Amino acid sequence: MYGRWILLFVLGVIAVLMASPLILTVFTSLKPTTELVNPAWYPPLNVTFEHYVRVWTEGGFSRYFFNTLLISVVDAAVMVVIASLAAYAMVFIDFRGKLALQVLFLIGLMIPVTAIVLPLFQIVRSFGLLNTHFGVIVADLALAVSVFVFMFTSYFVGVPKALHEAARIDGATEFQIYRRVIMPIAMPAVVTTALLEFLWSWNDLLLRLLLLTQDEMRTLSVGLLNFQGTMTRDVTGLSSGTVIMAIPVVILFLFFQRHFVRGMTAGAVK
Amino acid sequence: MAGLELMNLSKAYGQVEVLHDINLSIADGEFVVFVGPSGCGKSTLLRMIAGLEKITGGDLMIGGTRSNELSPKQRNIAMVFQSYALYPQMTVAQNMGFSLSLERRPKAEIAQKVKEAADSLKLGPYLDRKPGQLSGGQRQRVAIGRAIVRNPKVFLLDEPLSNLDAALRSETRVEISELHQRMETTMIYVTHDQVEAMTMADRIVVLNAGYIEQVGSPMELYNNPATEFVAGFIGSPKMNFVKGKYADFIGAATLGVRPEHFAVGQSDEAWQGTVTLVERLGHDTILYVKVPEAGMLTVSLNGQHDQNVGDTIFLRPLQEFIHKFNNEGRPIAA
Repeated sequence: MYGRWILLFVLGVIAVLMASPLILTVFTSLKPTTELVNPAWYPPLNVTFEHYVRVWTEGGFSRYFFNTLLISVVDAAVMVVIASLAAYAMVFIDFRGKLALQVLFLIGLMIPVTAIVLPLFQIVRSFGLLNTHFGVIVADLALAVSVFVFMFTSYFVGVPKALHEAARIDGATEFQIYRRVIMPIAMPAVVTTALLEFLWSWNDLLLRLLLLTQDEMRTLSVGLLNFQGTMTRDVTGLSSGTVIMAIPVVILFLFFQRHFVRGMTAGAVK
Repeated sequence: MAGLELMNLSKAYGQVEVLHDINLSIADGEFVVFVGPSGCGKSTLLRMIAGLEKITGGDLMIGGTRSNELSPKQRNIAMVFQSYALYPQMTVAQNMGFSLSLERRPKAEIAQKVKEAADSLKLGPYLDRKPGQLSGGQRQRVAIGRAIVRNPKVFLLDEPLSNLDAALRSETRVEISELHQRMETTMIYVTHDQVEAMTMADRIVVLNAGYIEQVGSPMELYNNPATEFVAGFIGSPKMNFVKGKYADFIGAATLGVRPEHFAVGQSDEAWQGTVTLVERLGHDTILYVKVPEAGMLTVSLNGQHDQNVGDTIFLRPLQEFIHKFNNEGRPIAA
């Protein structure tokens, strides 16, 4: 009996701790400048959207938002295609060098991004892709592809081989099997991959800071830094920008939460 | 329709050969059953014919054409899988018409062919359902329908009844036999169930450890098994094998007697034993009898009998039906 109450209390404390930064940020973003002298946990007395308008127009967030959306959507879509194709080959096609390729993907899982940031910068520069969204997208895909190949592979391994064989007998090519038989039943993995890659891409700061130095190419995460100088800080601008950046992610997660969890656990048990 | 020739066909995984020099002719329109214990290579052989396993030695001729390197589609075969292998996201109609849609046939033609196949398999009311909404028997019929729609040269069936319950199994067995009679297409059927093999096949191919033990009609195999293995595998309950005194007496290493080939009653040649178990099937009574120097014997008596556990019984093998085998398990001519 007491155990249940203790559990609820602990969960409640964790929930408050997790939610409080977001709540405080929303409060700050809606406060007029005159109310900033009040403690941060005071709700806004006179709600205003002036900071949102300022950030969206003067702060350049409309452009950053579009840039971020473009990169994230392309990242997610292309990642679904290349990771699922690679995983399909790993699981359903026998070819020479398969094991070596699997080991390479495994190594890709183990190397942290920060360890290869400099060589990556040089590679992107040598290809003339600095300050292009294409360069960021290619780098994003290269860095995360191992994770999603692994995820799709786990999912495909659970698909009965007989389905692939039946489709071959029916006269389907490998690409037709992939597109018409396997992918339609891999929707949880598709949704999870698209969401995760979208979120990673949406939230990433390091690569964007490094590869996008021109203001018109920047993304939201880099744009937020504009509100924080060495000596000064635009608290309301920072808060409004953070909320703008968080809203699409929260909406996406709310819509796809069920698919997301199903995809994450797929392949864990038969 | 087409006949098949398997010429010195072999299959190896690395250094391990699992099928050795398989030679077999299958006539156009014939119903051939591959039967054998688990791991004997029967499914592998079927998959080699289908094009799902690479042939590592020998030649496979389908309709007179060497087909070793042809894709499953080019071989124009259809296959029914043990697990049904229906596409879960497609309806019954889409499953059955999938191969035709890949060939970009007109929709009206696909619908017509699917309807014909569905009607012949009593699947008409289920065409819009997904496989998950069907029973096991219905799913298996959809898998068969998917094969029929293509009008293939050869039908391959890989243990298609093993996931069905006993009643449905015998019902579907009859349906497949009727289908073969109606379509007159070459069918190759894999099973480990010798009852299925005996009841459906024009010819049975008995495989053991990657070799063909014997090829023949069900009655040929039953009456004249080429090896001790075939004698033991074909027939249910299985043949009794007796070694020692009773085999020596007739000049054989092993004496084989089918359970139904015993006469019960006291006589000079009768073996005395004790009933240890009785199975009453109604039409038959199966006795398990412990006979000194012969071991445990299975005896099948026609009709209903009143023997009980512990009874003493006298058994006499019917001389005209006994099988004699030498040390290599080969039959000794009478």
